Amino acid sequence: MSFLRLEGLVKRYGDFTAVDNVELSVEKGEFVSLLGPSGCGKTTTLQMIAGFEVPTQGRVIIDGKDMTDVKASQRGIGIVFQSYALFPHMPVAANVSFGLEMRKVSKEERKRRVMQTLELVHLQDFAQRFPRELSGGQRQRVALARALVIEPEVLLLDEPLSALDAKIREDMQIELRSIQQKVGTTTILVTHDQSEAMSMSDRVAVMNEGRLVQVGAPYDAYEFPEDLFVSNFLGKTNLLEGKVTARNGGEVKVRIGEAELEARDVDGSIDGRVNVSVRPEKLHLTTPQDGALQGRVLTRIFLGNHWVYQVQSPIGRLLVTQQNTGQDSAREGEEVGISWSVDGIRVLAAEADHG
Amino acid sequence: MAEISARRRLLPPYLLSAPALLLYLGLFMAPLAMTLMLSFNSFDFYKGILPGFSFVNYLEVVTDEYFHEVFLRTFGISLAVTVLCALLGTPEAYILHRMRNPWKSLFMLAILGPLLISVVVRTLGWALLIGDSGVLNDALIGAGLIDEPIRLIFTTTGVIIALVHVLIPFMVLSVWASLQKLDPAVEQAGLSLGASQFTVLRRIVVPQVMPGVLSGSLIVFALTASAFATPAILGGRRLKVVATTAYDEYLNTLNWPLGAAIAVLLLIANVIIIATYNKVIEKKYAQAFQ
Repeated sequence: MSFLRLEGLVKRYGDFTAVDNVELSVEKGEFVSLLGPSGCGKTTTLQMIAGFEVPTQGRVIIDGKDMTDVKASQRGIGIVFQSYALFPHMPVAANVSFGLEMRKVSKEERKRRVMQTLELVHLQDFAQRFPRELSGGQRQRVALARALVIEPEVLLLDEPLSALDAKIREDMQIELRSIQQKVGTTTILVTHDQSEAMSMSDRVAVMNEGRLVQVGAPYDAYEFPEDLFVSNFLGKTNLLEGKVTARNGGEVKVRIGEAELEARDVDGSIDGRVNVSVRPEKLHLTTPQDGALQGRVLTRIFLGNHWVYQVQSPIGRLLVTQQNTGQDSAREGEEVGISWSVDGIRVLAAEADHG
Repeated sequence: MAEISARRRLLPPYLLSAPALLLYLGLFMAPLAMTLMLSFNSFDFYKGILPGFSFVNYLEVVTDEYFHEVFLRTFGISLAVTVLCALLGTPEAYILHRMRNPWKSLFMLAILGPLLISVVVRTLGWALLIGDSGVLNDALIGAGLIDEPIRLIFTTTGVIIALVHVLIPFMVLSVWASLQKLDPAVEQAGLSLGASQFTVLRRIVVPQVMPGVLSGSLIVFALTASAFATPAILGGRRLKVVATTAYDEYLNTLNWPLGAAIAVLLLIANVIIIATYNKVIEKKYAQAFQ
């Protein structure tokens, strides 16, 4: 049985439904990300797990106990806030110690556990500093220590890294993940940053307009998006409108504009008007003769380890990324061929309404 | 060459601030200096103000027990009003902070209301309310709760009540400004760590708005110590504070030098109290806030 369960969670504000029937099961020790654009209801969901918002419908169950009507202060959940929300009038050690004090832990025990947790986040030398004397990354780690020291059943991370610089953010992602694995706390991360969600979590739960759209391992969600929203939100993709013209067993032919391409149809459900999604890294630039399609490079951007091209082709403008292999790459205005493997093509039903 | 350009660069700021500076010098500093000079003159009941330089007025104030009483009463009232404003204004500001519109705006207006009404009119309103045959006493007697009217008008209690009403907006605004800087997630953080709502207020919110409470206290204290209209109307002829005493020396006894000396002493006492207070606060909060 799963450790944290959200059962049919609904939150309405007047006519507006912020969270719509969210069902999610999280195993003990698992790291799950709630991922979606701003306003998708992920933060409201987190607030309901934390106990700061009362669900209109549904239940929050932690370790078999119904927590829906339990006060936030009684839930034993650790939270790291986007703004860190450190107590500015207390030194680091007092910040971390606060939760233990509330639990009436003895003074010596408090001291021991505070130092132990500060060591875990590499801040043992900063115990007597005030929050305003620390850098953003250090404050972040104080917030994490403060949430972890109470040994919470569930750790909630609300956009914890969004206020940090890109470089520190990457380091913190790795550190946060390793700390989480070390202490083994069941963790829910709320973020709008898909790379953050994918790099840190065991599973991502993509939300859109209040609903859970897809829940799965990062690789599966990225490679096999179930709908247009997910394929667009997780990473970059080329979305093309087409029509199924022929079917041959597990393969279909899709006509896009002037061109026709093959794709796999796993469950045989694809027919009629469809959307084709091709990730930029699944496309390869070749000489014009070798390509399945011909095109012309409009622009190219150098990003260090790879190049990003915009290529004008008969089926529209395509985004193509290529590894920087050290060889000279195609220049602007150059005629190129584009090739791909049939496994890199995803065909999605063209829904009238998605989300 | 370099010197000239340096002087040129310095000139415009002075020129630009000159009008305000002249206004300040002419309308504030000059009367203050004249009051100070006046306080060193002496006074004769038949001959009026006598020019000269002596500390006779100061000596009178410092040695006469009557003035001791007046000064003690003034600072006693100031202290009481400040403490009451802090105790009432801080929760008031917090409740206001947590309210949603339109109630927030409505209650804000109600709190700021006293500032929109002339101090004399407002104080006369209090006189009507708390007088011996005022609304409050009539109602309580009519309800059979008391037999004799409660004496509030012409008492220190009455003056304190009215001054708290007048000055509480300054406290609320000052605490409100601190609350605006408070991260709402901080309260949630406290709750999530197992603290009760009350503990969150006591341990997390109040310490953070303390600078606001303290600066509000400064304003309230200074304004109470120099308040004139409210103690004059609600205190009556006998309950004197420093400001009304100075007024009486000027306009009833016509002893302007003594009135000036009282005014100067009030100013000095106020400055000393406020400066000391400020020092203490700065020391206490320098580390956590800046």
